[in-house]
Amino acid sequence: MGNKQTVFTPEQLDAYQDCTFFTRKEILRLFYRYRDLAPQLVPLDYTDKPDVTLPYELIGSMPELKDNPFRQRIAEVFSENGDGNMTLDDFLDMFSVLSEMAPRDLKAYYAFKIYDFNNDDYICKSDLEKTVNKLTRNELTPEEVSLVCEKVIYEADVDNDGKLSLEDFQHMIIRAPDFLSTFHIRI
Amino acid sequence: ITKKSKHHSTQLSCCTECLQGASFRRFGNTLSEYFHLLQLRHKTLKTIGAKFGTSVLSYFLFLKWLLIFNISFLVNFSFITIPQFVAAEPNNLSFMGLELLTGAGYFQQTVLYYGFYTNATIGKIENGSSYNMQLAYIFSVGIYFVICFLTLLFSMAKSFSRNFTNPHTHSGNASKLLCTWDFNITIEKSVKLTQKNLSTQIKVQNTRILNFSLTQRVVRIVIHLVSWVASLGTAVAACGGVYFLSINNLKLFVKEHKNDLESQAAMLVLPVATSLLNAFIPFFYSWLGHLERFQTPGHQIYNLLLPNSVLFLMCSLINKLWLFCMTWLMQPHIIDACIQEIWLVFFLRIIGTTVCVSLGLPEFDIGRNVLDLIYAQTLTWIGILFSPLLPGIQMISFSIVFYVKKVSLLMNCQPPRKVWRTAQMTTSFMFLLFFPSFLGVLSLFSHTFRIKPSEECGPFRGLSSMYAAVSEWIEILENYTASKWVVWIYHNLISSELFFFILSVVVMLQILLPLGHLALGTSAKGNILHTVGRINCTSRPPPRSPR
Repeated sequence: MGNKQTVFTPEQLDAYQDCTFFTRKEILRLFYRYRDLAPQLVPLDYTDKPDVTLPYELIGSMPELKDNPFRQRIAEVFSENGDGNMTLDDFLDMFSVLSEMAPRDLKAYYAFKIYDFNNDDYICKSDLEKTVNKLTRNELTPEEVSLVCEKVIYEADVDNDGKLSLEDFQHMIIRAPDFLSTFHIRI
Repeated sequence: ITKKSKHHSTQLSCCTECLQGASFRRFGNTLSEYFHLLQLRHKTLKTIGAKFGTSVLSYFLFLKWLLIFNISFLVNFSFITIPQFVAAEPNNLSFMGLELLTGAGYFQQTVLYYGFYTNATIGKIENGSSYNMQLAYIFSVGIYFVICFLTLLFSMAKSFSRNFTNPHTHSGNASKLLCTWDFNITIEKSVKLTQKNLSTQIKVQNTRILNFSLTQRVVRIVIHLVSWVASLGTAVAACGGVYFLSINNLKLFVKEHKNDLESQAAMLVLPVATSLLNAFIPFFYSWLGHLERFQTPGHQIYNLLLPNSVLFLMCSLINKLWLFCMTWLMQPHIIDACIQEIWLVFFLRIIGTTVCVSLGLPEFDIGRNVLDLIYAQTLTWIGILFSPLLPGIQMISFSIVFYVKKVSLLMNCQPPRKVWRTAQMTTSFMFLLFFPSFLGVLSLFSHTFRIKPSEECGPFRGLSSMYAAVSEWIEILENYTASKWVVWIYHNLISSELFFFILSVVVMLQILLPLGHLALGTSAKGNILHTVGRINCTSRPPPRSPR
């Protein structure tokens, strides 16, 4: 399979290998998954680096993402413009960070960005409330949600500014060893 | 625009640092593409993770790891079985159906058994170099254990460094709930179930009672004590019962030799009894665990789960090993016991999995199943000296178990409701594997040095001990000047007690040092994270492909 593919030039494949945590075979497999979302939009020949972007609706309909409460945020974080529409590079980036091989710091960085709904580099109380609501499918009353968010900020906020910075979040992640195996999507 | 240019500049600086490791990674990737085994059942694992989440998936990953771990038996296979095929004698016994259950009979005259191996030095070419079967046997079994041990140590160190967390820091339960959403779960029903569980946990936590009244505390302690006494008592009772059964077995069941088939079937009574006990006692322990959780308030689960389940697991393991030893003592050869045990456990497992559906146990009991795997691996290690191909049989058994468990899981079970600390439990399972390996090494040493090998069969017939083959070989070597260094190594390292003392100290340190970290409450990794000011390659996103 290695030398017979015509989708990418060998240099492109090597560059993708270096920049993601995937092998050549996996990159090609992911390319075909990307293409299956919209065969009429994605060409089979990527050697001239075409500028193809798939809309968020197609990405969000993938079986790996369609029932994930955070699929919109994931697509927004990994897309170039922050609107959820992804090129092939964004697509590979996303699944590379969510794969087994990505290190803890990288995953923590992106998890932080996913939970930061208003993109201000801090997880404030409103971000936390939105997260809790997504996690519990809006089953909790606003008072309960508020109580949980206050508890989280109380426990995790080290510099006492009322919101969580990246360092606070990483400090929290260290105490949750399951994070590496749960922040993982198998594709 | 500023945001994007900042992104690009970090991309470029990252790229140059990344390239240093790039060629290494490319080589590793090419290698892994050839190892198709690593892609073993990717789809199956994905399906299981999608429906049940990471905790149940960890059992299947552990099983897959054990499967690959047993591949090291190829060392044995190549060094002793292939030469044995060259010098094989014809097999006189006939194949009856019962062999698949007992492991004796026809199989005794094949390469599966120690007795079949020749004690000659095999030489096919006239005046050519010959192959000393005795030395090959000892060294290949020794190398197998060394490989196993190193692999275990390495895997445990890797798992520990990945999953290390300091249990003494007051980890907030609230924050834990927020950063452990399982992204593996992709089936709608399971997602809804997980969300429901999460909201229940949050509600319970919010209404947490901080102080218990005195009566509640007393009740909790009493329940603890009762369950501990019950589990220990069951273990002791089962061990005692099997001991008496084994002593009286010969008197009760083995009468005159009617014929070969009947006498072999009579030998099966004890293993069947012990296997039935092995099958049902873990259910009893699970029930005890359920009882305890039912009695105590919900949010106490997090504190109790770890110590009690570990106690039950240890009890079960000791129980099983004791029962196995009793079976072994009644057998003429240990390998009969091992193979019988493996097959019976295997069959009972399959029967049990299908039968238990009707008993209504809907959740997959991870602890009990992992214990089965550890027990099977222990049997392999104990019996490897007398049946070099035992890991091969184990691999076949594990593959079938993988398939059967997967089918029964997908058909019968529902996603887990309780919290299961995946990372910590996985590390402790690997740690738990160390003790059986010590047992295997102990059995190896005792057989090599103490016990006189049998006179009529096997590669060591006629010698006073297995080790005598090595010492004889060293005496021969002393006459050749070219191999003086081998003799020196032998006299100063292998025969000296000091070397073994130092070796065992080093090994103990490797195992106990991580435990010491836990006890002292230091967190090396946490300090490193906090003092990182420099952005290195791994803490920034990998660059996109150049446009």
